[in-house]
Amino acid sequence: MNKWEILWNHREMILGGFKSTLVLFGVSAVAAFLLSSLIVLAMRTGRGPSGRVVRGIVDGMRMLPFLIYAYILYYGLPSLGIRFDAWTAGFIALITYHAAYFAEILRGTWATLSTGQAEAARAHGFTTFMMYRRIILPQLVLRAAPVLGNQLIICLKDTAFLSIITVRELTAAASAVQSQYFIPFEAFIVAIGLYWLTSMLIEALVARIGFVAEGKGLGYRRAAVRR
Amino acid sequence: MDQAAIHTLLLGAWTTAWISAVAIAGGVPLGLALALLREARIPVVGHIIVLYVSLGRATPLVTLVLFIFVGAPVLGIPLDRYTAAIMTLLLNTAAFNAEVWRAAIRSFPHEQVEAARAAGMTRALIFRRIMLPQIWITSLPGLVNEMTFLIKASPAIAVIGIVDLTRVTNRISAVTYEPLPPILVAAALYMVVIGTLVRLQRLLDARAQRLTM
Amino acid sequence: MDTGAPPFAVEVRNVSKSFAGIEVLRDVCLNVAHGQTVSVLGPSGSGKSTLLRCINWLEEPDSGEIFVAGVRIGVRADGKTHMPDRDLAQMRARIGMVFQSFNLWPHLSVIENVTEAPIHVLGMAKDEAIGRAEKLLEKVGIVEKRDAYPYVLSGGQKQRVGIARALAMNPEVILFDEPTSALDPELVGEVLAVMRALAEEGMTMVVVSHEMAFAREVSDEIVFIDQGSVVERQPPGAFFDRPQTARARQFLSRYT
Repeated sequence: MNKWEILWNHREMILGGFKSTLVLFGVSAVAAFLLSSLIVLAMRTGRGPSGRVVRGIVDGMRMLPFLIYAYILYYGLPSLGIRFDAWTAGFIALITYHAAYFAEILRGTWATLSTGQAEAARAHGFTTFMMYRRIILPQLVLRAAPVLGNQLIICLKDTAFLSIITVRELTAAASAVQSQYFIPFEAFIVAIGLYWLTSMLIEALVARIGFVAEGKGLGYRRAAVRR
Repeated sequence: MDQAAIHTLLLGAWTTAWISAVAIAGGVPLGLALALLREARIPVVGHIIVLYVSLGRATPLVTLVLFIFVGAPVLGIPLDRYTAAIMTLLLNTAAFNAEVWRAAIRSFPHEQVEAARAAGMTRALIFRRIMLPQIWITSLPGLVNEMTFLIKASPAIAVIGIVDLTRVTNRISAVTYEPLPPILVAAALYMVVIGTLVRLQRLLDARAQRLTM
Repeated sequence: MDTGAPPFAVEVRNVSKSFAGIEVLRDVCLNVAHGQTVSVLGPSGSGKSTLLRCINWLEEPDSGEIFVAGVRIGVRADGKTHMPDRDLAQMRARIGMVFQSFNLWPHLSVIENVTEAPIHVLGMAKDEAIGRAEKLLEKVGIVEKRDAYPYVLSGGQKQRVGIARALAMNPEVILFDEPTSALDPELVGEVLAVMRALAEEGMTMVVVSHEMAFAREVSDEIVFIDQGSVVERQPPGAFFDRPQTARARQFLSRYT
């Protein structure tokens, strides 16, 4: 039996791991984005200390390696009496860590928006929250799509770190299969191929959003010109 | 944390530091070579590089390092774990650096090249004396940014048994039964190094901006 | 004490404001009756825009009171506590504003710009909002561009969309903050024509502008502000032909 056949016979292990990776990535990406939208609003409208505290935490997260952060949540907190299982720690790590990165991206993009349109929104009776939801946030996503897409791919890759804190995702599954059946190349090539496929899909999604943005004159190139 | 623990921690820090440094030192020129090869528009080579960069940017480091460490012996290439780790980080960072260099090369004003050619300079001379000094400055912020990502991703090498700054905290807590202190100190060490690089990147960004005026 | 039907669309009472220690508005009073068009004129830096922006509380006066359609804006009825965001938003929904830099929302098409506030602030049904928007766009002469995005429009076209957007909220009064100052000269006329039509229909308007001919022909009253104080308040014919103060004469001499 050749090695590819062996791999095919045990494909459920790899596919099961892939499904776990997709769940981790999908749920965390959406939750991180939602959380980051609130964080950015807090950073922009927070008066005095609270705004600065949030900024400090966001800056701090961006200087921290993801795995060490996962270590703090999974290995470190138990000594303070807080115990998470590996999956929960993984979700919390992915969501909060990438929320900080998304927040920084959105904040930077917000600074490039023309200031008058927020005033126009307020003058027309929009509350701050409504204005943010209908006027600001859609533009932030349209303008920052490529950078957000990059960050999504980083989020996908960070799921692999969770194999080190015992989460059974794609890399852990590939590792298990190859060591059990002595098929290192085949198992990892498929795993890498699956990561690659997923990031191509993310890039395709980003390209679509970029296309919509171009149609409104908000594309990457035009975004540099403030009207 | 007692003396022994601190000592062990610093050893872990040293491991992370030297492996990262080697990968960074090699990854910058390798990225440049890849970008130049791609711009040279040699038929097959160009496509291979595009494929490599695309794969390199999409593959998690943990997966890649396992693949290389476990897969190389199968090809008959014996690799100790340190070489495997350095190779992995190198291949990964070169893919990202290639894009940074490529952006700088693409945005380089063509008029300067034309002027140099009109003055009789060869392509090699133009590159060495005119292009490189300038694209070096415009690439630096992106390259330093990539360095911060490399250091943040370096804990992946722990998975093939290297006791780096992250893995070493497991070692220490196995003895002291107190995991939090070494983890927090390790986190602080990472943040100091990465924070310094980020500050450096901002300075370089300002310098590069002046060049594009 | 406000009792009975409010006589004025806008009442500004003794409003003062300073920016960084510099007094921009000094004890300013202004009344705008329903259906009136008031032009606020004055040299640059005289505080005209600030006054306008205080009316819908985009700027907060340091002292004084402002009433729109008889209701105090910015401060609660007790006179002490700040108006919460929601109440302020509700009041602003009844005050229209047209900006010097148009301030259209770039990610929305022309018709979406005009329907956005009616749908999401007034809670209007989408079909009704679209129907009204199309009529307004026709009125300002730009309905054929209903699906275009702001980035393809000229300045004059953008400003006409801005006016339609303000009208869509059915406001008590429309504030115009130098509506033609950012336009190329050949585009000014189309915007002034729309504003003139609005005035003739009886819309209450407060206009800050440098367009003297327009102010003279369309306004019911001229309010002349210099260095933060109201210096003259007269009907247009009187102001332009027989200014009463030296400062007004000096100002007008630059335009004749």
